[in-house]
Amino acid sequence: MTDGLRRSRILSVARAVPDTIVTNNDLAGRMETSDEWIQQRTGIKQRHFSEGDTGAADLGALAAAEALQRAGIRPEQVGCVIFCTLSPDYDMPSSACVLQARMGMSGMPAFDIRNQCSGFIYGLATADAYIKNGACDYALLVGGEIHSTGLDLTTRGREVGVIFGDGAGALVIGQSDDPARGILSCHLHADGRFAEMLWLESPGSREHPRLTEQMITDARIFPKMKGREVFRHAVTRFPEVIHEALDANGLSVKDLDLLIPHQANQRISQMVAMGLELPEEKLFTNIERYGNTTAASIPIALSEAIEAGKVRDGSLVCLAAFGAGFTWASALIRW
Amino acid sequence: MHATLLGLGHQLPPLSAVAGVHRPIAASGGSSDLALPAAHAALKQAGLSVDATDFIVFATMTPDVTFPGGACFFQHKLGAGTVGALDVRGQCAGFLFGLSIADQFIRAGTYRRVLLVASEVISSGLDYTEAGAKVATLFGDGAAVAVLGPSDNGAGVRSVVIRSDGRQYDRFWCEYPSSRQHPVRMTIENFRDRLHFPALDDQVVRQFGIATLPAVIDEAIAKVDVDKDAIDMFIIAHVFPEVAAQAAERLGVSKRTINCGERNNGHLVAAALPVSLSTAVANGEIGRGATVCLATCGAGFAWGAAVVQL
Repeated sequence: MTDGLRRSRILSVARAVPDTIVTNNDLAGRMETSDEWIQQRTGIKQRHFSEGDTGAADLGALAAAEALQRAGIRPEQVGCVIFCTLSPDYDMPSSACVLQARMGMSGMPAFDIRNQCSGFIYGLATADAYIKNGACDYALLVGGEIHSTGLDLTTRGREVGVIFGDGAGALVIGQSDDPARGILSCHLHADGRFAEMLWLESPGSREHPRLTEQMITDARIFPKMKGREVFRHAVTRFPEVIHEALDANGLSVKDLDLLIPHQANQRISQMVAMGLELPEEKLFTNIERYGNTTAASIPIALSEAIEAGKVRDGSLVCLAAFGAGFTWASALIRW
Repeated sequence: MHATLLGLGHQLPPLSAVAGVHRPIAASGGSSDLALPAAHAALKQAGLSVDATDFIVFATMTPDVTFPGGACFFQHKLGAGTVGALDVRGQCAGFLFGLSIADQFIRAGTYRRVLLVASEVISSGLDYTEAGAKVATLFGDGAAVAVLGPSDNGAGVRSVVIRSDGRQYDRFWCEYPSSRQHPVRMTIENFRDRLHFPALDDQVVRQFGIATLPAVIDEAIAKVDVDKDAIDMFIIAHVFPEVAAQAAERLGVSKRTINCGERNNGHLVAAALPVSLSTAVANGEIGRGATVCLATCGAGFAWGAAVVQL
């Protein structure tokens, strides 16, 4: 800490997923697809879908309450609430404000970061800056998504529809008392040239009016993806940004104890690990059970990795993401 | 070191007649398009090229598309390579939230040249028919961009206070599309019920504004240990300009206050404060060295104030 700044550290992690499990065969009952097709292309076997009146902030609040309890932090001690999502409860205001309401919190700043699959690492970098500078003592970082209500679950939308699942994860971030441990660095990127490769077009301010009945009828309110292009860029940007994080800290792939990539697609994760020459046991994957939960996938995976004993004191953990925007990012953590 | 303003630019579309009033309304394009000329002006004022930018923070309530965020579209149009491009949602207080985030990244030494964008094309999401005119005519389109970098003389962003209280989130909101509506977040029925247009509870929004604005302004000023009299200009934004005026009156600073809603012919949401600041600088109303206090309160509720020395 020659820079005189404090270092931040993840104090606790928790996750919340809805009870209802939707298998590939369940989806095959609604559209022309098959368990084999989905597994081969994505590695996904099932995902969780919410029911009733559950929003991203409701799942987020469940995870957040548990994370606070684990960290031994009271809600009023939180200095900053950051909610990462691309499926907010309402068009506005932010889901961060809805989360505050659900948790009976008020007064501290609460805002959404909308950076899609990389959203959680963008949020982590932001929380890290607030803690490092001493702007607040504790930050609550939540990734929450309800994809199930925003998918075209017919044959027309199957390429995207089979991929996504609902879920939330939350972290409490605070100061590290050991300068050698904590969040070592974060690296954020974007390339808007490819904004329309994976996107949800409507409603959007650039259409005048931004929403019409025709847009709803034409399924323009559901996400679209050029899968091949996403795959091609992902397998380049993932290793690039992982190396960037390692290089910035004078470390190499062999120093890594665990890589937790955003769970976008099992084939992408495997190809990235292979390219890095990372042993299979150091790659964390759980996409087979959750699908792609965008901004929630990394904290869900991190909470499972901790429970599985894959993250211990002193472990070097790399979080990495790539997704819509395109955006990509990494964070290196000495646990 | 905290952040300072290296350049500032703004863009207001021409006034159009809607529902009996004149408002700045973009004829086409989204919030990233409107922000582009503002960014060029800000970079020019800072004497920097696009290549100097190492991070983008984009504050909007009205992104070009639902996702990805406006920052990605803006980055591409500006030609800013592959620098990080963060989208933040803080509604009317979006600029102050973005200013806080940019300031924290600069203080931490993570970035040295941050483009902070606040841009709204809200008109394409408003109901200008008789049914919606009361709410729709409150708003206008606008964009402003600030180039921020580390301060070398103590000037710049002296304090930013941002706060939220979500307990009345449904008193000023746009309910749909709503991810919590199962099985699908937007239906033709929701559309016909006009639930994709913003709605607000006039009384609650006014009361919350007047209860929070004077206090948060005092808080931001107290943090930098200067006297209220030493603030050269107050810039206050609220969806109801009367609330901004009332806050200035309560603080006894009416003569030194720019009321954004009156100045900009409507509430420009996240862009309200920086458009007014940029306009005041462009008009020569304030110059280098002047100390300005910016404050707003809006949907969320989210509110805040900043003391900035130019």
